[in-house]
Amino acid sequence: MLGPGRQERSWIRGAQGGSASDLEALFKEHWPRAHRAAYLVVQDGAAAEDIAQEAFLSAIRNLDRFDRRRSFGPWLHRIVVNRAIDWARARSLRREISEAPGSEDFDTGDLGRFSDGVAAGLASLGPEQRAVIVLRYLLEYTPSEIAELLDLPRGTVNSRLRRGLDRLETILDREQQ
Amino acid sequence: MSEDLRRALQRIQGPDELDAERRAWAMVRSSFDAREPLAWQQRNRRPLLLAAAVLVVLLLALLSSPGRALVGNVHDAVTSEEPTTPKPVLTALPAAGQLLVNSSTGPWIVQLDGSMRKLGPWWEGSWSPNAEHVAVTRAHRLAALTPDGTIRWSLARNRILRGARWSLEPPAECCRIAYLNGRELRVVAGDGTGDGPLRNVVGATAPAWRPESIRKLAFSTVDGRIELVDADSTKTIWRTDPGEVPTQLAWSEDGERLLALGERTLRAFDANGRKLWSIGHPVGASGVVFARKSHRFVLIRYSPATLRSDLVLYQAEADPGEARFLYSAPGDFGSLAISPNGNWLLVGWPDANQWLFLRLTSAKVESVSNIVEQFGGKSSAPLASSFPKNVSWCCPASP
Repeated sequence: MLGPGRQERSWIRGAQGGSASDLEALFKEHWPRAHRAAYLVVQDGAAAEDIAQEAFLSAIRNLDRFDRRRSFGPWLHRIVVNRAIDWARARSLRREISEAPGSEDFDTGDLGRFSDGVAAGLASLGPEQRAVIVLRYLLEYTPSEIAELLDLPRGTVNSRLRRGLDRLETILDREQQ
Repeated sequence: MSEDLRRALQRIQGPDELDAERRAWAMVRSSFDAREPLAWQQRNRRPLLLAAAVLVVLLLALLSSPGRALVGNVHDAVTSEEPTTPKPVLTALPAAGQLLVNSSTGPWIVQLDGSMRKLGPWWEGSWSPNAEHVAVTRAHRLAALTPDGTIRWSLARNRILRGARWSLEPPAECCRIAYLNGRELRVVAGDGTGDGPLRNVVGATAPAWRPESIRKLAFSTVDGRIELVDADSTKTIWRTDPGEVPTQLAWSEDGERLLALGERTLRAFDANGRKLWSIGHPVGASGVVFARKSHRFVLIRYSPATLRSDLVLYQAEADPGEARFLYSAPGDFGSLAISPNGNWLLVGWPDANQWLFLRLTSAKVESVSNIVEQFGGKSSAPLASSFPKNVSWCCPASP
């Protein structure tokens, strides 16, 4: 993973020293993608907000111990995506217990906002597959970096990516016909 | 496909994205403001320690071969975290006053020096003004006790009694106890005389006497209206619109604000019963407490997404204001109590079997573990059921 840019290092140093404006710059730089990544994995607006917010709060709590030589983004994204996967798994489990068989795998309530079939395709994937696709194509990590972020073998990341893309392609083709 | 997917994902916006960012920034900013930045030396302690340790190890390794054995120890010292260690027992309260603790084994009184006394086989209790007595209930019986557990009087009714609350008048006017007999709301004088019904059917919420007034009592109706009644004349002073039946009613210390906390909503009212606002929460908030001499209050907010509970500060004014983040921990928080001097907040943390004492004027947090065991519970029982349900932190004892 690439190291942080000079600007980001300066924001982190400033925030560690108590500068709210540097913290705000860091927040504004990283919030949109962290929030969006959480949303694409959990597909629930309120949960995505909670997850991204909690990740930032965790960052604030540990700011003094943060090593400025590391990049803030991967560190934040690791928290966000792992928590999002945990949340989505827990939701699936709750539904297995509380709902009759044959119910939808995902709540599509918020998906009405999406204008293309990608969202519907993502909703048909498991949270682990959604996570690797989001890390690869939204956050633009390499498979090796994703493997490191998720604590997975690289082969597993590649196979999840491949299967996820195949399934997305099938769904998008079906929608176009 | 890959490029299309990349563009599609980057175009997708979450719902309410700008508002979510605004809310999150408010929380992050208040959390940042509440922290105490470390000095440069502390912030850079790890690299400094590492450099010093490397130097020492190199010197020792040069001077003696056993010096190599130090490497492991130095590594541990540099990388180990610094958890705050909870005290194993409650040896003292951080501020003056006494606690009344409703535990699974009954009510207990805890003095400033940490000494504890169980009041007897009662189910729950609440303080009288100035902590001179405690109103307790068990099954069909209501009693008034002195703090040493002596029964001054008691009465019995046909249904399960609970939610006893002592009115807050000064001793010259004293006093009344409101309680629930099943769903019937009744009031009895502080000396055990004049017991009678106030309303036949009410919501299952403990009533709340309005401070700074004489015998004005708030309670919930079965359809979630909040009603203020004159306990002497039994006349309704005001009644709100229907809503969710609350689990807790809480007055501000000046009696000018009332909060009704339900499983899904928190409603705030002014002294005339006008609704100031209502806010929703996805999962039942488990407690609320007003700060002393203020309309600001602390709310427990649980997040199902992160499986954590937050303590957040709002205000019971026309606008609740941005939530100010105070503290967060995994699992559920339970009881909340503010010290009489207003500086400390006691927070029950059942998942950790701990009480947290948060100093509200700084970032200081003290914790005490083994709470279940200290109040006579069994650690083998599920913590959620054996952990003390609520705590009130009362005024210093009368001389």
